[in-house]
Amino acid sequence: MDVYLYVEGNSPLHRLDPRPKMLLVVGLIFLAVAAEHPLVPGALLGLVLAAAQVAGAWPALRRVRTILLTIGGFSTVAWALLARGTTPLLGPVTVESLLYGLGTGLKLVATIAGSVVFLATTKNEELAAGLIRLGLPYPVAFAFSTALRLVPTFVGTGATIIQAQKSRGLDVESGHLLERMRKHIPLVVPIFAGAIRSANRLAMALESKGFGARPRRTYYLELRMGPGDWAAVAVAALMFLGFLLIRLTGWGEIPGLHR
Amino acid sequence: MIVLTVLVAAVYAAVLIPFKAIPIVPGITELRIAQVLPPVASLLFGPAAAWGIAIGNLIGDLFGTFGPGSAFGFLGNFFLGAMPYMLWGRLGPLSAHQEPAMANRRQVLEFIIVTAVSGIACAFAIAWGLELLGLFPFTVLGLLIAMNNVILPGAVGWIVLRLLYRRVKRWGLIWTELMEPEEVGNQPTASVAAWLCAVATLAGWALCLALSVGAGGKFGDAGLQAGTGGAMNVVLAGAPFLAAILLSFVLGSPRTDLGQQGGERAA
Repeated sequence: MDVYLYVEGNSPLHRLDPRPKMLLVVGLIFLAVAAEHPLVPGALLGLVLAAAQVAGAWPALRRVRTILLTIGGFSTVAWALLARGTTPLLGPVTVESLLYGLGTGLKLVATIAGSVVFLATTKNEELAAGLIRLGLPYPVAFAFSTALRLVPTFVGTGATIIQAQKSRGLDVESGHLLERMRKHIPLVVPIFAGAIRSANRLAMALESKGFGARPRRTYYLELRMGPGDWAAVAVAALMFLGFLLIRLTGWGEIPGLHR
Repeated sequence: MIVLTVLVAAVYAAVLIPFKAIPIVPGITELRIAQVLPPVASLLFGPAAAWGIAIGNLIGDLFGTFGPGSAFGFLGNFFLGAMPYMLWGRLGPLSAHQEPAMANRRQVLEFIIVTAVSGIACAFAIAWGLELLGLFPFTVLGLLIAMNNVILPGAVGWIVLRLLYRRVKRWGLIWTELMEPEEVGNQPTASVAAWLCAVATLAGWALCLALSVGAGGKFGDAGLQAGTGGAMNVVLAGAPFLAAILLSFVLGSPRTDLGQQGGERAA
């Protein structure tokens, strides 16, 4: 079962060093949350979709489209109802609350879509190498990248266990939500026990390869920043600057919205 | 320890991802059967679980919900994985003062207490963070995440632990046996730290919740309107309590490094 979002390709985004790509994602998140008005996150979503077009990342975005649509719809409706404004529109919904709802929905959709484009253009090993070069301690980066690799294995194990239990008559699909949750609990035990059982084997494999024997280590994947990467860093810096500017000037606030 | 961290992270993420399709607050939290794992893994694997749960949650986020809340999700889930083993046996009369084999009612009661405190601490950190960013009201997230973290894990987590504890002990993978006795952290301040952690968690969460719904004033107006995000009174009131939780980690010194020095086994 392939759970990864990576899409094979050779676009400028694929070729970009993972470090500036991470900074761009963080910059995107900061800029998206800076303003209340939907204009800023809406524009950012446009940029993210353009980046997806350039990178050919549509297959990854299609895989999460249900989540994205649910998030956008839920946030817009929830905040349109919950927030208060001064210009009545329909029932409890005001123009200001609707704008705020749209803004919050777009913030979440833009940032999540941005992270999906990042994952669609960045291999796991590049992600780990980037994290290490950004100063993350090697054991943490190793744990992160190895766990990321093992996820499909355990998702597959879970699916196999569910199929095996179903073939013995376990019905995990009927009943209300809580009942279905309760039926899934016993399935957690074999998945967990199976994983733990492999701990010793994995530990031996690591020790035989000298894991942690020396404080400094070399890497197969060497990252080097080129002019394009530095340009991406500059764009990320501009995003942070934009965040500060919006926050300090109060631009992008919705007049009449009660906070 | 590093291997256990990897395995806990991978299993947690693997159980989280299929249930992303059933959101409770879309983009922020979903129906989480995987929440049964943090207290169980914490009491089995100690620090490896703390990092494993935090990393596993981050990986889960990368499969469709990575966003502004992910940093606070990392912190909250770290609390979720670190607190049960940090609090176990250190809560005076509330503790069973036995290993967490879930062999009697006192152990089950202590399990429910540490699960509740860690689950609420996780909810507190995430809801506070998203209130700080102005994305979601503390009222909604503080309650929903706490319920998600406490009800199901408290009700059935101890059964899972009971099924696993003896087996894992037989395999020699219980954290207190993997580490040196001085690394387990039985120093005199540990009990004080545990109480500080529990009290700061419950008091901070309750205070922020009360402020978020407008306690002492206009319930509806100050409440959900403050909850349109960035309510400064909630953010300012919660900050010292979060600082106290972090201080309790320093005082209690629950070992949280992944430990690869000193010839420690990779497992």
